[in-house]
Amino acid sequence: MDLEDDTTILSTLKSFNTFISRPERPQLPSERSAGSGVLQSQYKRSMEILEAAERVHSQNRFLQLDQEKKQMELSHKRARFELEKAASNSARDFEHELDRNQDLLARVKKLEGREFEADKNLSDQVEENQVLRRNLEAVNKKLEERDTKLNTANKTITSLKDELRELRQKIQNQDLVFSAQTLEKQELQEQLDLQRRKYQEISQLCQTLQAAQSLCSEHIIKIKELERRLILQEQDMAIVKTIKSEAAKVTDLEKELKRLREENSFLRESRENYNLLKEEAEGLRKKLERMEKTKEELVNVELEKQRLVEKLQAWENLGQSTGLNIRKPEDLSREVIQIQQREIALKEQNYTLNSRVRSVERLQSELRAELTQQCTKTMEEQKKREAQDALVRRLQKRVLLLTKERDGMRSILESYDSELASTEYSPQLNKRLREAEEVLQRTQNHNSEMEAQLTKAEEDVGALRLQLQRVEMELDSLKKQPASSPESSSSVSKEEENTLRKKIEDLEAERQRLEEQNNILEMRLERNNMQGDYDPVKTRVLHFRMNPSSVAKQQRQQEVETLREEVTTLRELVRSLQEGGGILHAQDSSGIYTPNISLSLPPSKEVQDLRKQMESSELRNQRLKEVFQKKIQEFRTVCYVLTGYQIDITTENQYRLTSVYAEHMDDSLLFKKGSKGSMQLMETEFSKTLGEMVDLHLHHQKSIPAFLSAVTLDLFGRQTTI
Amino acid sequence: MTSTLKGITLKGSAELVAEFFSFGINSILYQRGIYPPETFTRVTHYDMSLQVSTEPRLNNYLTNVVSQLKEWLFECSVQKLVLVITCLETNEVLERWQFDIECDKSAKESSSAPREKSIKTIQDEIRSVIRQITGTVTFLPLLETQCSFDLLVYTDKDLVVPDKWEESGPQIIDQSEEVRLRSFTTSIHKVSSMVAYKRTDSACST
Repeated sequence: MDLEDDTTILSTLKSFNTFISRPERPQLPSERSAGSGVLQSQYKRSMEILEAAERVHSQNRFLQLDQEKKQMELSHKRARFELEKAASNSARDFEHELDRNQDLLARVKKLEGREFEADKNLSDQVEENQVLRRNLEAVNKKLEERDTKLNTANKTITSLKDELRELRQKIQNQDLVFSAQTLEKQELQEQLDLQRRKYQEISQLCQTLQAAQSLCSEHIIKIKELERRLILQEQDMAIVKTIKSEAAKVTDLEKELKRLREENSFLRESRENYNLLKEEAEGLRKKLERMEKTKEELVNVELEKQRLVEKLQAWENLGQSTGLNIRKPEDLSREVIQIQQREIALKEQNYTLNSRVRSVERLQSELRAELTQQCTKTMEEQKKREAQDALVRRLQKRVLLLTKERDGMRSILESYDSELASTEYSPQLNKRLREAEEVLQRTQNHNSEMEAQLTKAEEDVGALRLQLQRVEMELDSLKKQPASSPESSSSVSKEEENTLRKKIEDLEAERQRLEEQNNILEMRLERNNMQGDYDPVKTRVLHFRMNPSSVAKQQRQQEVETLREEVTTLRELVRSLQEGGGILHAQDSSGIYTPNISLSLPPSKEVQDLRKQMESSELRNQRLKEVFQKKIQEFRTVCYVLTGYQIDITTENQYRLTSVYAEHMDDSLLFKKGSKGSMQLMETEFSKTLGEMVDLHLHHQKSIPAFLSAVTLDLFGRQTTI
Repeated sequence: MTSTLKGITLKGSAELVAEFFSFGINSILYQRGIYPPETFTRVTHYDMSLQVSTEPRLNNYLTNVVSQLKEWLFECSVQKLVLVITCLETNEVLERWQFDIECDKSAKESSSAPREKSIKTIQDEIRSVIRQITGTVTFLPLLETQCSFDLLVYTDKDLVVPDKWEESGPQIIDQSEEVRLRSFTTSIHKVSSMVAYKRTDSACST
């Protein structure tokens, strides 16, 4: 329906377009002649046509959209339909699923029930199992016990068997022993018989021996007797000889005797002379000593004499020096006596003078005391006078005051008297007078009391001053006394005093200096004590041997030593590896940034591996060499045996063949290998003998094996014939 | 804790002084860091908490020394106890803790009666000494290097040297500053303490 609409629309469009195009062609030429009015109408027509086209377009569009809409609605319906189908399907499926679910749930429940039952069964079975196991264990235990019992029984059996064996062995041994012992017994019995026979023989021999011994002893006795006689005879002989010799000496002895007697008498005489001479010598010695003593005394005496002479001269000179006309000691003594008398007189004078001085001093002191007393008295008098003066002054002042008062009173009285006009004032005035008088009296009393106190105070002051002055006087007197008394005695004591004072001052200065030094030293000592110093004479410093600081020092030293050893070993390592590890360092391209020491570790391993490889390869080489040598030897021997020729390589490319059957050791054939590989025979002495064969086999037949075999055959033939 | 309430005997005084040395040395070692602090444990004594080392070798050494010291205190033949701290690298003496001991020899006679001094006062004095030792850490120079210590005993010259002990030098510090600390007395033994340390030449040193 719509398509038909479409086709009609399209057809109309086509017809419209043809219509538009047709009139354009014929109109074209007419347009030029028509002019603009035609153009306008054409334009209007075209515009109308365009509008119509647009309308058609829009209608077309509208129709299209309607179509589309309808299509959409259709599709929607279809989709809805399908969806409804799907929904119904899904609902059906859902119901199916629900049914299935319910079935499954039912099944699950059944299965759960079954499971529960199964569990129960399982637990029952487990319990049964446990019970069975326990039974098993009990049975096992019983079995084990039985086993152990069996084992113990077996062991006992074995032990009993061993014991049995041992006992049997023992019995056997004992049997053996018994048999051996019986044998021994027999032997011993035989020996005993032998011994008895021997004993009898020996006893016989003994008897003969005894007889012989008795004979021997008799002979011995005889021999001893003879020997004794011999000895005696010899002694007699000796005595005889000595007597003979002595007899010969007798004459000599007699001569000697005479001589000796003469000597004896001579000696006796000489002894007496000797004694005499001794006594003389002693006497002379004593004299000598005495003489020497006297000499010394003489010397001393001379010295004394000289001294005395000198003294005498001095004494004599004294007289001359003193000018006292002394020539004899008597004069001296006279003079001395005179001097002594003079001295005595002077001493008497001295004593009298001293006594006078003392009396004078006493008088002086008494006078001084009187003086002091007088002074004190004068002072007292002065004080009294002053006190009196003061009293006088006071009294005068009082008098003045009194007079003034009197005048004043008089004036008052006069004034009052003058004014006594009225008698009214008189009693009052009298009262006032009386009061005034009383006041006056009181003041006067007060004044007098004050004055009395003042006088007392002044008297006290005066007394004190007197005492002071007395004391001062005494001090002065005392000071004067010691100053005066030494003056009388001597001036030496003054000097002594001065020296003593100086000494005291010096000692004081020294004391102060020593005190300062002492303080300084004490400070120093204290400081040293604080620092820890000590007096080695009195104190000793001890400490424990295993103390922590010594232990720590030892540990340190050990650490240091170990570190040093490590350092030395590491240095050696480094040196060795730097020499040999330089190559490895170039090869080692691992790129590890470590110092040389750690780099050396991998090379060393490689080195070891390489060394191992090297060793293994060398071993292999050696083995191979051995094997090759063996094989070569074998091959050569086999060749020699089979072919009959021993092939040696003399120089390169030259081969020497010696045959088995060679007549001489030097018979050999030399072959040389040419450049192309062909073998050529060289001239040797032996080859010269084989000229025919050479010609035949090599030149004609050109076969070396044939030649060689011919040579062997020939040699073999020769050998066998020989 | 050893002397009776009646008074201080020579034996009791020796034990008190030895006990003080044991605790004092431990606290000095802790304060100066000679041994690491984790090797020390806290105990209560003299009514204050003190640090005591737990290392067995150190404790063994200290008990040996202190027991010998107790004997010598009983005989009144010890004059000083010195704790010397030396630097391990340079073997220089850095610090010296010196305890002067004055013994009243009249207490040695058997006829002497125990002295009357209450334990509480002695303990108070000891407590103040140990507190002062702890307080000295503020002005003592830091021990930066690894150090070790040694105990020296100044005894009378005529004393018999026991085995395991030997003579040693006084180990005096050159250029030292000395500070005198408090003292305490048990009426038989008088212990005065002082510390000498090596003068640091830096500008910070006063």
